[in-house]
Amino acid sequence: MTFLVPWALVVGALGMAGVVVLHLVARQRPAAYLLPTTRFIPDRRTLVSRITTRPRDLLLLLLRLVLLASAAAAFARPVLSPSRAPRARVLLLDRSADVANAADAIARARAVLADGVPTQLIAFDSAAVLVGDATRALDSLARDTAHVVRAGSLSAALISARRAGASLAVTADSVELVLESPVAARALDAATDSVRARWPGRIGIVRLSARSDTAATPMLERAVSTDDPLAPALAGMRVGTGAAAIRLRRTALDARDSAFVRGGGAVVRWDSAGPMPDRAEALAMGDDVLVAMLGRGVPLARGRTIARWSDGATAVVEEPIGAGCIRTVAVSFTPAGDLPLRPAFQRIVRGVMSPCDAATVFAPADEAALGRLRGTGALASAAVMAGDDRRSSPIVPWLLGLSLACALGELAVRTRSTRELA
Amino acid sequence: MTAGPYGALLDSVRGVRWPAARRVSGATLGAHPSKLRGNSSEFSEFRPYRQGDDPRRVDWRLLARSDRAYVRLTTDRATLRTAILVDASASMAFPRPELTKWVRAREIAVALAAVAHAETDPVGLTISGAPAFTLTPRARRSVIVEMIRALDGTTPSGSAALAPLVTGARAPRVVVITDLLGDLDDIMAAAKLRIAAGGEVIVVHLVAPEEIDPPDEALLAVDPEQPRMRRTLDGAGRREYQRAFAAWLDDTSTACRAARVRYVRAETSEPAAHLVRRLAGEAGVRGR
Repeated sequence: MTFLVPWALVVGALGMAGVVVLHLVARQRPAAYLLPTTRFIPDRRTLVSRITTRPRDLLLLLLRLVLLASAAAAFARPVLSPSRAPRARVLLLDRSADVANAADAIARARAVLADGVPTQLIAFDSAAVLVGDATRALDSLARDTAHVVRAGSLSAALISARRAGASLAVTADSVELVLESPVAARALDAATDSVRARWPGRIGIVRLSARSDTAATPMLERAVSTDDPLAPALAGMRVGTGAAAIRLRRTALDARDSAFVRGGGAVVRWDSAGPMPDRAEALAMGDDVLVAMLGRGVPLARGRTIARWSDGATAVVEEPIGAGCIRTVAVSFTPAGDLPLRPAFQRIVRGVMSPCDAATVFAPADEAALGRLRGTGALASAAVMAGDDRRSSPIVPWLLGLSLACALGELAVRTRSTRELA
Repeated sequence: MTAGPYGALLDSVRGVRWPAARRVSGATLGAHPSKLRGNSSEFSEFRPYRQGDDPRRVDWRLLARSDRAYVRLTTDRATLRTAILVDASASMAFPRPELTKWVRAREIAVALAAVAHAETDPVGLTISGAPAFTLTPRARRSVIVEMIRALDGTTPSGSAALAPLVTGARAPRVVVITDLLGDLDDIMAAAKLRIAAGGEVIVVHLVAPEEIDPPDEALLAVDPEQPRMRRTLDGAGRREYQRAFAAWLDDTSTACRAARVRYVRAETSEPAAHLVRRLAGEAGVRGR
C-alpha cells in the first residue's frame, strides 16, 4: 500500500502525539481532602493540571487516536497498488516527415529505454498513438519503412502524453517526459503553449536530425492565363520545368499528368467548372481562413487533407503517387468580383500550389519556442499529475466512516465524563 | 483511678502548679490567694484597729510596745472552680485518620484538669455537641476518670456553637480548647462578659501543622463542617491560603488579647504536657 498524500500521515502522527501529551496532562478535579481551614483558600477554578506518567481517560484516548489515525490515513489517499516506482517515463517519438533518419530516431529511443524505467511510448506525426510495449513497438516501427509525408503535431503529442502521464502517476512518484523530435516550426501551433502548460514539469528534448531542405523554389510548369481568376495569386511564381515544377490543371487529368506525377512533380487539379456558390462558406488551410461565396465540389475520400470547410468536410486533398502527388481542389467560386484579389484567397492559392510534401521545407523552431517547450523545474509530480483523474482507494470511505464513528463515540464518552465530573 | 493511655501524661504534669491569674473570691480553703483576709497562719500585714474589729485579732504585744492598737491581718487561700470546654465539632477531627487535633485536645483537657484537681480545685468538663455533654465542676477524686471516659467516648462531628457554653459555664476560670473555626465572634463576646464579671477565660487555640502547610499535591479541599464548600488547593492557591491563614491567626490573637482573653496557640505537634507547663507557667507569672 502506498499513499498519494503522505504528508497527511505526518500531520496525523503529530496530532496523535499531541493527544497523548494532552492526556498525560491530567486536567481534572483532584482528590478530595477534608481541610477545616478550607475557607482561607481562594475560591477559583476547581480543576487543576498536572503531568502524570499514565495517560488518563484511556477509552477517550483510544477513540481519539483511532479517529486521528483513520482520518489521516483517509486523507493520505491510500492506494492498494502492489508497488510504486520512483520514476516513470513518457517517450514522445516523432515519426513525422521532419525526421531525417527514422532508424536513428529508433536507436536513440532504445538508448533512452535502456535504463529500465517504466516507459510508455507515444509515436506521433500529425496524430499521436500510444503504443503498449515500448520495446516491441520500436521493433515494429523499425520494420516500417513506408514513406511518411505527414507533418508533426506537438500539440497532439503533448495531449497524449498528459493522458499517459496521469495513468503512470498511479504507479510512480514522478513522471518524466522525453521528446525525441527535430522540433520543426510547423510542428508547433497556436495551442502548443497552452497544452505544454498542462504538463506540470520539465520536458527533456532529444533533438533528432531534421530532413534537409531539398525542395527547390516552387515554380509553375507553364504560365497561367491572364483570364484565369487564379492568375493574380500566382503572378509572382516563375515558370519553368523540372522536378519542382507544379502543374495546374483546370480540366480532367490524363496519362501525361500521371507520368509527370510519378516523376516527382506535383499536379494541382482545380476544375474551373464546378457548382455555383449559393452561400457563404469558410475555408481553412493552416492558419489561413477564407470566408466568401464558395461552392463545394465533390468531396474526396483518399489522400491527406490540405484544407477543410468549416464543418470539417474535405476541401483540398493531396494523394501521393510515386515520387510526386496529385492535389485535388474541390472549391469553386465566381470569377467575377474581388475574391481573386483578396489576400486570404491568394495565400490559400499559393499554399495549394506548393510542392508535394511541404515538410521537405524544414524550418526549426526558434530557441524561444524550444525554451518554452522544455520548461524548468523538476519532473512532474505524481500527485499533481494524478489530478482529478486519480482514482480514490475503495478503503477511503471506510476510513472516513470509522473516523465519524470514533468522533461520535468520543462525543458520547466525553459528555458522560463531563457529567460525572460535575 | 484508671487513667489508661493518659497515665504517662498525668505523670508528666504531676507537680505543676496552675495559680489563678488574680485573687479568687471563694471561701473554701484552697491553693489560690483569696480576696478575703482571715485567721490563717500566713501573716500579711498590720492595720490600725477600727471599731467593730474582732478584739481577738488585736496584736497585744505590739499594743504593749507601742501603746497603739493594731489588728493582725493574714492571707487566706481558696479554691478556684475551673471549667474546661472542649470543641468537638467536625473541624477537630483532623487530620484523618489520626485525628491528631482531637487527640491533642483531649490530652490538654485531661492534663489541665489533673493539674487543677491536684490543687484541690473543682474541675468540670463541657464537650460541645448536640446536645452538649457537661460535667459540673467537682473536686472528688473520680472526676478525672469521668472526664477521660467522656472524652474518649466522643467523636467530633457537627458544628455546634461554643459561645453558649462559655456563657453558661459555672466556674470563674474557663478554659476553651478549640480551633476557633466556629463562632469566633460570639465566643469573644461571651468571654468579654465573663471577664467583666471577674472571671478568667483562657483560649487554647489548636492548630494542626497540616493546616499551616497543607500537602504539596493538588487537592480538592472540603470543609468538614460545610461539605458544600469545596475549593482547589494547588501551587498558587496554596501560597494565598498560607498568607490568609497566617493573617487570620494574627488577627485572632490580637482580638483575644484586646478582649483580655488569655490566648495560647498550640500546634498539635507540641506535646500536651509541654503546653500545660507553658500555660500554667505563664499564669503563675501573671498571678504574682
